[in-house]
Formats: sequence, structure tokens, C-alpha cells
Amino acid sequence: MAIAVFFIAAALAVLGGIGVVAFHQPIRSVLSLVVVMLSLSVIFLLLNAQFVFAVQIIVYAGAVMVLFLFVIALLGPARELGRGRLRFQGWLSALFVLVLLGLMWGLLQGVQYRQPDKGDLSFFGTVQSIAVGLFTTYLYPFELTSILLLVAAIGAIYLSRKRIDDSEGGPAGEGLRPAAGVGGNLPPHSK
Amino acid sequence: MSSLNIGGSQLDASWFLLLSAVLFVLGAVGVLVRRNPLVILISIELMLNAANLALVAFSRQLVNIEGQLFALMSMTVAAAEAVVGLAILVDIFRVRDVEDIDDLSELRG
Repeated sequence: MAIAVFFIAAALAVLGGIGVVAFHQPIRSVLSLVVVMLSLSVIFLLLNAQFVFAVQIIVYAGAVMVLFLFVIALLGPARELGRGRLRFQGWLSALFVLVLLGLMWGLLQGVQYRQPDKGDLSFFGTVQSIAVGLFTTYLYPFELTSILLLVAAIGAIYLSRKRIDDSEGGPAGEGLRPAAGVGGNLPPHSK
Repeated sequence: MSSLNIGGSQLDASWFLLLSAVLFVLGAVGVLVRRNPLVILISIELMLNAANLALVAFSRQLVNIEGQLFALMSMTVAAAEAVVGLAILVDIFRVRDVEDIDDLSELRG
């Protein structure tokens, strides 16, 4: 039973990953990534990680992906041009990826696990066990995480504020211009 | 090789690690071959998810909660990274249209 669940979830995750890379419209890439995240959450559940499962669905598939969708809705449907201007980009990336996959495969062959700790698997991964680790041993990293989130929020507000005196860009208060539509080849603004 | 007893079935821990490696490589492909900056950010998220899967798999294998704690930290960092990256992207798009990541080459001099 668990094997079937694992293989269905893994196949969905790999298909979603291929979709992220292969779709030409960003909205479809984002929705493929949602598929990947939901299948990964199923696998987290298989691995006794109930709390990580819940956080994965709420924070990742919920909040972060909605953020991506909002940005796509804001920027408009930009499609990619047919080909890039870097030579040999495809071949070099294929080579790099094959080497990377080969290295990971080789590492997986020789991985040596140490003896697992003595633990109660019915308690492992629950909210209580996560909280015991998070609020005793790892209290300082946990608190530092809140500072990181505060810094990220302030940075996002600063970057996306409305420009008052914009000497280089368009006139002040112009707001967001819609992105170029399908096939629109507007040249970038020259300064 | 070590098998995990999950719900009465024996699953090998290296299957999870292999899935994690495949997803990471797919994310790397996305960063390398895609030219829309938004899709590159999405591919980075995919790689972070693959790393999370490896962390949780090792955590289950060793029956040690620290891997899951580190996966939670990594999710936080990924959320912060997505927020700042998207804010930078919106800021760039506000000044001009970027259809290709190679358009952003002012630093080349």
C-alpha cells in the first residue's frame, strides 16, 4: 500500500517537475510546481513528518504559490522568445545536468547510514516532538528566523513602494505598466 | 541499503533520495535553460523542495527530529527568498519589460 502511494506521488512529482521546465507560459509552470509540492507533501506524510506535511501545504502550496500567481497576474502573460542569444546554452546545460545526476547517483550507491537513534515512531514528527526540538535546543535559530522574515518583509515593502522622485524611470506616479503582450517586441528603455 | 518500515511495507531510503536528486536536477535544468526570470525563481523553489525531501528522508532514516527542524528552517528561508526575489522582479518590470534574463546585462560593462 505504502509502496503504491510512494510511486504514484513520485511519478506525479517528476511529471510536475518536467512541467515546470517544459511549459512556456509561467502560469503553467507555477501550477506544475503546485502539483510537485502536493505530491511531496504526501511523501512527507509517508516519512512520519506530519507537521512538515501541514506546513508544506499551508505555507508553500498556499502562501508562496499564491504570491507567485499574484506576481504573474500583475506582470501579465509574458511568453518566452524562441531562442536565446547564448551559444551552446542547451548543450552545456545538458552536459552539466548529466554530470550532476551521475555524481548524485554515484554518491547514492556508497551512502553509509549510521545506526538509527532509539526513538518512538508513533511520537516522531508530531507537533509535540517538533516543538520540543524547536523551543529547547534550537530556540536561537528559531528566533533568528523571525528576524529573517522581518527583514524580508521590510525589504519587499521597500522594493515595491511607489517612487516619489523617479529621475531615471518614467514620471512619478505612473505605476505599473502592463508587460508586453504576446509577441510584443518593445525595446527596453534606453537611458 | 536500508529499508524503512512504513505502514507495514518496506521502502528503501535511497528511493526517496533518488527522487530528491531527480527533482533537484530538474530544477537545475530550469535555471539553466529557461530565460523568463519568473520561471527561474520557480525552478529555484523546486530545488529547495528537493533538498527538503532529502532532509526529511534522512530524518526518518535516522529517527532524528533535527532533519525535520532543518527542513522547516529551509522552508522559512525559501519563503523569504521568494518574497525578496519577486519584489526585485516587480521593481525591474516597473521600469521596463524584461522578456529575457539576458536583457539584464548592465553589469557586464
